[in-house]
Amino acid sequence: MEIFLDRLFSGVTAGSIYVLIALSLVVVFRSSTTINFAQGEFALFTSFVAWWLTTKGLPIVLALFAAMAVGFTMGVVAERALIRPVRRRNETAVLIVALGLFTALNGADGWIWGANDKQFPEILPHGDNDYFVIAGSRLHYDSIGIVLAMILVVTLLSLLFNRTPLGLQMRAVATNPESAALAGVKVGRVLSLSWGLSAAIGSFAGVLLVPVLPPNQLDLSSFFSILIFASAAALLGGLDSAKGAVVGGLAFGVAESMINGYATFLGGSMQLTFALVIIVVILVFKPTGLFGARRLERV
Amino acid sequence: MSERTRPYVVHRGTTTHRVMIGAGLILAAAFVLWARGFGQFNQGQITRVMIYAIAIAGLNIATGYTGLVSVGHSAFFGLGAYTTGVLVVSHGWKPEATIPVALFVCFVVGLVVGLPALRIRGLYLAIVTLAFGVAFPEVVARLSTITGGAEGLTIRRAMLQPPTWSGFAIGQKGKWLFWLSLFVLVVVMIVVHNLVRSRYGLALMAARDNELAAAASGINLATVKTVAFGVSGALTGVGGSLFAMYLGSLVANDSFTLLNAIALLTGLVIGGEGTRFGPILGGIAVVYIPYYTSDIGQGQAAAVLFGAVLILIMFIAPEGVAGGIGRLGRNVMVLVPATPKRPGGERSSARGLGGNSERPRRQGQSIGGEMATPTD
Repeated sequence: MEIFLDRLFSGVTAGSIYVLIALSLVVVFRSSTTINFAQGEFALFTSFVAWWLTTKGLPIVLALFAAMAVGFTMGVVAERALIRPVRRRNETAVLIVALGLFTALNGADGWIWGANDKQFPEILPHGDNDYFVIAGSRLHYDSIGIVLAMILVVTLLSLLFNRTPLGLQMRAVATNPESAALAGVKVGRVLSLSWGLSAAIGSFAGVLLVPVLPPNQLDLSSFFSILIFASAAALLGGLDSAKGAVVGGLAFGVAESMINGYATFLGGSMQLTFALVIIVVILVFKPTGLFGARRLERV
Repeated sequence: MSERTRPYVVHRGTTTHRVMIGAGLILAAAFVLWARGFGQFNQGQITRVMIYAIAIAGLNIATGYTGLVSVGHSAFFGLGAYTTGVLVVSHGWKPEATIPVALFVCFVVGLVVGLPALRIRGLYLAIVTLAFGVAFPEVVARLSTITGGAEGLTIRRAMLQPPTWSGFAIGQKGKWLFWLSLFVLVVVMIVVHNLVRSRYGLALMAARDNELAAAASGINLATVKTVAFGVSGALTGVGGSLFAMYLGSLVANDSFTLLNAIALLTGLVIGGEGTRFGPILGGIAVVYIPYYTSDIGQGQAAAVLFGAVLILIMFIAPEGVAGGIGRLGRNVMVLVPATPKRPGGERSSARGLGGNSERPRRQGQSIGGEMATPTD
C-alpha cells in the first residue's frame, strides 16, 4: 500500500508538470492549430533567465515573475515576427521555423550561460524532512506545491477563457478565425497573446519543475523529453481541450509511474518509448484524443 | 526591357546536354582527384561531408520528395551506425560487409515507422518522428548488453583496417574510408536520380503535392508513403554505417540526439528540399558551419546559426540553395525533356532538334522552365 501510494504521489507530481507544459501546447493549438515545437525551449530559456537572476541575488519568486514576463514577450514576438509571416504558406514552413527556434534557443542558452549543468534554486521546500506521512507513505511538500500550482494555473486559465472578454475572443478565434474577424475580433492580436500566454505558462512550469524532476539540474537537454511527455499528454487528452490536457497529463504521469514501478520486466527506464507508443496509438486510433472536439484528420 | 532575354534551351539527351553532363562529371572527378591529395584532417572533413550527404539524401526522399517531415532521422543514422558497430565488435564482421545489413535493418524499421504515416500527416507525423528520435538513445541505453549502453560502443582501430583487396596499407584507414564513402555517395546519387525520375518517384511527388489528386490518379498512397519512409530510413542508415566506421566510437547521447536530427533537417533545408544536389550542399553546411564557428560562443554558435539560417531560408529562399541556384539558372538556360521518338524508332527528329537547340527556340513564353516543352 505504501509503495502504491508512493508511486501514485510521484505519478501525480510528474503528471502535474506534464499538465502545465501540455496546457501551454494546448493554448497555442487552440488559437493557431499548430504545435509549437519550440515550447520546451522557450521554457528552458526562461528557466535559464530565472537561474541567472537568482545568481545575481534576486529571490527566486521575483525571478519567477521576471522569467514569465520574458517568456510572454518571447511568445508574442515569435508569433508576430516569425510564425505569422509563414503561416499562410503551409504547415511545413511553420514546423521548420519552430524547429529553427528550437535549435537557435537551445544554442543561445549554451552560448550565454555555458553548456555545463546548473544547480537550480528550489522554489518549493525540498528538504529531507519536508513531508507528510499518509498511510506510511511520504508526501513531500514540493509535490503538493506542484499540484497546487497546476490547479492554480488551470483555474486561472478557465476563468480567463470563460469569464473574460479576451477569453471569449480567444475561443472565437479558435472556433472560426474568419467569423471572429468579421465580428470585429483582432485575430492577429489574439494569436500573439495566446502565444505569449502559452510561453508564460511554460516559463512558470519550467522554474517549478527543474528542481523537482530528476536530475534536478538545469542542462541543455532538460526539456527534450518533457516536450515529448507533454505532447503525449496533450494528444491523449485532445490537443484543443484544456480539460483534456489536465486529464491526459495526470493519466500519463500516473500510468508512467505505475508501469515503471510494477512492470519491472520492462526495465523501468523506457519512459520515452512509452510516450512514443502512446502518441502513435492515440494518433492512429483516436486522433481527437479523449476530449478533443474537432476531427484532426480528414481523408 | 520590353522582352526578357530568352533562356538557352537544352534538350535532354542531345549532344549539348551530354557535353554538359560530361563537363560536370569531369569537374567532380577533378575535385575528387584534388581532394585525394588532402592531408588527413581535411580529407576526413570531406569524408564527413559525404557521409552527411548520404544521410541527408535519405531524409530528402521522405521530406523533400514525399513531404513527410521527419524530425527523427537521427535514429536511422544511429541505427545504421549501431548495426555496423555491433556486427563488427561482437560478431567480427568486416566493416564494409555491414553496409547492406544496415541498409536492410533501417529499411525494415523505416517501413514500421512509416506505417503511422498512412493515417497521420503533417505536424502529427512530425511529433511521431520526433518522439522516435528522442526515444532512440533511451532504447540504446536499455539494450546495453548489445550496444554498450550509455558508455558507448568503441570499435577498435584494428577492426577498421582497409580490406586487403582494396590495395590500401594497414594504416590508410582515412583514405580507404574516403573512397568507400565516395563510392557509396555516387551509388546513392544514382539511385535517387533514377528513383525520382521513375514512375515511383512521380508518385512520391504527386502524393506530396496533392494527396487527393494523386489517389484519384490511381496512386496507392499507403504503399508509396510507407515505402518512401523505408527507402529514406535505409539510405540514412547507410550514412550512419559509414559514420560508425569514420568515428569508431558510438555514444547515442552524443551523436544521435534530437539536435542531430535537426542538423540533418537543417542541412536538407539549406541545400534544398526535393533537389538532387541539395543533400551535398547540406552535407557541406552540416560539417563546415560547426567547424568554422567552434571558437565562438562556447561551441554553441553552430546551433544558433543553424536555427537562424533555418528560419532565414524559410523567409527568403524556401527552395534552399540548390533550388535557388536552379531557379536563377533557369533564367539563363532551361533543360527540356527530349522530344519523344517517333514510332518506328528513328531518331531523326531528335537529331534534328539537337542541332536546333543550340539557339534559343521561338516557342511559347520563355519563362516556363521545364514546362516549356516545344511542340513539333
